[in-house]
Amino acid sequence: MIDKKRKTRIYSQYEIKVINFYATMIWLLPIILVVTYVFEIDQKLNINQFIFWLAIANFILTLIGTGVLLFQRDLLKRRVKADYQNEFVYLLFICSFGVLGLVVIYDYMGGNRQYIANVLVVVVAVLIYILLNLNRKFFKYDYMKKK
Amino acid sequence: MKKQPISDQTLNRIIKYLSIALLVMALLFMAIQFKDLWNWITSAVKSVILPVSLAYLIALLFFPLIKYLEKKGIGPRGLSLAIVFILGIGIVFAGFFFVTPLVISEINNFFSNDFPKVITYLTVDMRDGFILGTDIFDRIMAYIEDTNIIGEWLNNLLPTFLASVGSVAIPIITTIALVPILLLYYLLDYELITERMRSIIPQKHEKNVAELGSRLNQTVGAYLRGQLILMIAIGSVATIVYKLIGLKYFFVFGLIVGLTNIIPYFGTIIAAVPPITYAFISAPVGPGPLLVLAVNVVIQFIEGNIFQPIIMGRQLEIHPIVIIISILFFGSLFGALGVVFASPIAASIRVIWNFFKEIKARKLNQPDEGVANTG
Repeated sequence: MIDKKRKTRIYSQYEIKVINFYATMIWLLPIILVVTYVFEIDQKLNINQFIFWLAIANFILTLIGTGVLLFQRDLLKRRVKADYQNEFVYLLFICSFGVLGLVVIYDYMGGNRQYIANVLVVVVAVLIYILLNLNRKFFKYDYMKKK
Repeated sequence: MKKQPISDQTLNRIIKYLSIALLVMALLFMAIQFKDLWNWITSAVKSVILPVSLAYLIALLFFPLIKYLEKKGIGPRGLSLAIVFILGIGIVFAGFFFVTPLVISEINNFFSNDFPKVITYLTVDMRDGFILGTDIFDRIMAYIEDTNIIGEWLNNLLPTFLASVGSVAIPIITTIALVPILLLYYLLDYELITERMRSIIPQKHEKNVAELGSRLNQTVGAYLRGQLILMIAIGSVATIVYKLIGLKYFFVFGLIVGLTNIIPYFGTIIAAVPPITYAFISAPVGPGPLLVLAVNVVIQFIEGNIFQPIIMGRQLEIHPIVIIISILFFGSLFGALGVVFASPIAASIRVIWNFFKEIKARKLNQPDEGVANTG
């Protein structure tokens, strides 16, 4: 039988940075699209071409970031904190704007605008579930605790 | 049963409190007698306090960044300060540069396209759909026309505005010009100024005052930083969602949501009124008022229950009734600034209250510790 106490381990900054970096890379394209959508830059340029070049830049950035993370792996593995509040706040923001970006992509792809609220609700619900689990396992930030 | 005589200590304390109360009353009496003199003094103090406190509040936002840069080896202070200062000014100017044209174009669009619709709604549609009947509506309109309330208000508006320009615009311009200079010197000599202020305090109280000051700085700083992040985040989210649901003037409405987010509870209602009213008037074009209301409710729910507790922690958690009372009280005392800063003032009062309670508890525990040590 597995000892339950052994399960609750504190993760190093390496694991946290890996989560935040890949979350940023996944949501980078939608976040940039949100900005272009709000400032209506999409009307001034070819959006398909823009998304294509953005995806390539995103891929290159992911490769560079992965390299940097692997290079700093040993150093980051030695750094440990009891909880990762700031890192979790960062992840929360990235995911919030990323989700909105996802809806923008849905709009760009010609999805029916009537169902935007439905799409948003489903995606947000799934995301909140993932974030809560990530926080419980990795970030360990107890936001309900009174200071 | 025999009555206990009052001890000398209690008597001394009563006399001390009575003399303080008498002194305060005497001061108030003096203030009433020399009203003009006091007005002159308070206006002079006000003109100093506004730029100094604004510089202090902005310093609370900037100082952690400077400290962070110094920790990373970017120094001396002049260099780190220059980086933060240029970055801050750059962000403010970039914000104005990108946001102002959008806001102006949306306002222009509203007045050229939708304002006639609003007038038509008020004069025709609202009359037909008036809940108490068209007869009552006509009577109300006739009363407004007879008494000429709106006409008088408009006639008085321009002279009042012109008269207030001098008294309001000059302090604002002075403050805008002074704040960056004060901020620069304050951040440059942050530690020196704190040290000088500590040296004014009698040595007996120095430790306690320094501790209280640091706690207040922490509380107000945390509030300001958290509030700024929340304002930007909620404003941006509202703008994006408004655009997604197809609401016209999404930028102005999103900006209102972001700006009013600084006022707890009331801000939500103030921000929701313009887009819902607009959706109501412009129906069936654009999203319905119920959808706009639902969007506002969901955004505020997520902000209040997920973002705010995570960003601010629970250190600024004050009971809603206390916040509402402080908004009303400080709002009537200091106007718009009082409304905006009601929550941090209430939080600061709580910090001071808790601090004095701690000191009292420490004093009560000290004799016991002494006995324990000797024993």
